[in-house]
Amino acid sequence: MSLVSIKAKDGDNVEFVMKDPKRGGVKDVYFSPDRSYVVAFFRKPLDNNGKERLDKLVTTYRQGIFGKQGAEYWKNLFCWPEKIVEYNNMTGIVVPVYHPNFFFPPNTNLEGAEKEGKWFTSAKNFNRFVPESEKGTLLSYLRICINLSRAVRRLHAAGLAHSDLSYKNCLVDPATGDACIIDIDGLVVPGLFAPDVLGTPDFMAPEVVATMKLDFKDPNRKFPCRATDQHALAILIYQYLFHRHPLRGSKVHSQDTEIQEALEMGEKALFIENSQDTSNRYKIQKNDKDFLPWVDTNKLPYTIMGPYLKELFNKAFIDGLHSPNQRPSADDWEEALIKTADLIQPCLDTKCPKKWYVFDNSTKPACPYCGTKLKGQLPVFDFYSSRDGVNFRPDSHRLMIYHNQYLYPWHVMRNVFPNEKLSEYEKKPVAYFAFHQKQWILINQTLDSLFDATNNKPISKGSYVALTNGLQLQLSKDPNGRLVNVSLVQA
Amino acid sequence: MRRLPVYLLIDVSGSMSGEPIKSVNDGLQLLVSALRKEPQALETAYLSLITFSDVVKQVAPLTELASFKIPTLTASGGTSLGGVLSEVSSVAKKEINKGSADEKGDWKPLVFLMTDGVPTDNVENGLRAFKDSKWGMVIACAAGPEADTKLLQRITENVVLLDTCDSDSIKAFFRWVSSSVSVSSKKVESGAQLDNNELPPPPPELSLLKF
Repeated sequence: MSLVSIKAKDGDNVEFVMKDPKRGGVKDVYFSPDRSYVVAFFRKPLDNNGKERLDKLVTTYRQGIFGKQGAEYWKNLFCWPEKIVEYNNMTGIVVPVYHPNFFFPPNTNLEGAEKEGKWFTSAKNFNRFVPESEKGTLLSYLRICINLSRAVRRLHAAGLAHSDLSYKNCLVDPATGDACIIDIDGLVVPGLFAPDVLGTPDFMAPEVVATMKLDFKDPNRKFPCRATDQHALAILIYQYLFHRHPLRGSKVHSQDTEIQEALEMGEKALFIENSQDTSNRYKIQKNDKDFLPWVDTNKLPYTIMGPYLKELFNKAFIDGLHSPNQRPSADDWEEALIKTADLIQPCLDTKCPKKWYVFDNSTKPACPYCGTKLKGQLPVFDFYSSRDGVNFRPDSHRLMIYHNQYLYPWHVMRNVFPNEKLSEYEKKPVAYFAFHQKQWILINQTLDSLFDATNNKPISKGSYVALTNGLQLQLSKDPNGRLVNVSLVQA
Repeated sequence: MRRLPVYLLIDVSGSMSGEPIKSVNDGLQLLVSALRKEPQALETAYLSLITFSDVVKQVAPLTELASFKIPTLTASGGTSLGGVLSEVSSVAKKEINKGSADEKGDWKPLVFLMTDGVPTDNVENGLRAFKDSKWGMVIACAAGPEADTKLLQRITENVVLLDTCDSDSIKAFFRWVSSSVSVSSKKVESGAQLDNNELPPPPPELSLLKF
């Protein structure tokens, strides 16, 4: 064992075992003796610009994100370089190791492999190779997508762009819903640090692919930036939710695979579920049984994810596919995903592959994944809020109720958002729902001023109100408090 | 879905007997088990193994990675390099879905050729057939100092050298083959290549021959 002890640029001691490096695309990775961090050396010497980028990355940009409140929160979403080292004329970075839940557990067929996104975005891998215990549910994929959107939103808010978002650079754990962005050393800072990768096939934006043949200095050549991150994020979200690629349909542009690839990902990129131009719909082939049902867009169209995500997929893959400035922001995705998570219902079939599904707003709801019909009464909360405490307007936000579902402060107050800024207090549920003695009830836990506006009576803490069709509840008397209108769907 | 065909052409001539062929057998095990932990490969890769000595034999037809059974190779006889180039060209013609105006075909096949000596047959016909076929990335590995690197350079521009034919080097080669099959980020300077034909950096045991 050849232990190397050196001092990092910031003066701290760094140790690593100089043996059997893990060889990545541009770096060789060595573990520290206690395996709590790795030292990743760039194989090629970095130029001054590259070194300065790393410097900024471990100092200014890192402090910008981790030096403030919520540092612990972001540590879970980014695997961020912490120090710079120089050894034998090589530049390296010190990066924390991945959390253990990002490796497949012992006694599974994939034991020890990293949970890179491709295991889960590929229908065949998901169907055949991912162990049952690691497959996750629709809810956990929504969480993964929320985490990724949040991480990208944070980078963009700091004026940075990732430039190479892909299933390779995002570790995910569908068993828990965790996600983490890795390989951050290629960050782009507009005007300061140019990208050194174009991205990864499947994720490069059409304008980047379409102009990659142009000269480096050609003003029409397009490089990774925030707008291309937005494209890659949309692709990732679509892939995690549907286990298929939104642009890889059946349209043939050329029988030369390279030209085909350049056109279908670039100039001629077309959403496989575009309702106006259906020429790129995916036609199921003979050898596709391992990919079913996920690649069947008739059985599982993107619209099964509900109205908020449908709108954003349209913006990302129809309006904004070739118009970068029309693409949804990471912020838009985060909000739509959170609202979508409020629309889900548990599937009544315990063997259902997804366990949850988005309510389709019909009177005969059924799970799109296994066909199981929903039976019984289904309460729906529609939220309204007011600027003046008198007139309430719809928030375009709905909560589908199920047994043991919770109501949270961000449902009650229009100025509270479920994100990294939540206080510990705001993370706690304030009321819950139950199906009790053949009726749906809402039990108030901690709401100070829950009020039944239909029957004009307060509902004190510890007491409950039966949910009836047309019932109006004021969740809080606070000026930012919301009003809900209750509907009962009979399925 | 498009498949990624991978042809492994392995020299099993007499000079490979002993440690080299044992290392190749170990290397194949290593290759397949490494690929089976690569999601990209498991989704798309199909493997075929063709050996050449006095005779050329497709030991395994194009088979999905997950169900590929690894044969044990033995070495004896000459080095029919021309023969194996003809054979891979003709089996690829049969096995690969070239697609049509309304159906996408397979990806262009990757070819990994490993040889330790000088051909004992006429290579010109085989070379012509090979050059007439469409391949993705073609990598020739000259295992040890006896291999005819000049000839290999006529087959492909990607020729790697193993200084010795020992087990570490051969295993390093197969490990490298496994990493060539998966996707990676595209560098800014690397032109218009979108196909799977960008080589990952070789490990220290291998050197890429430049010419």
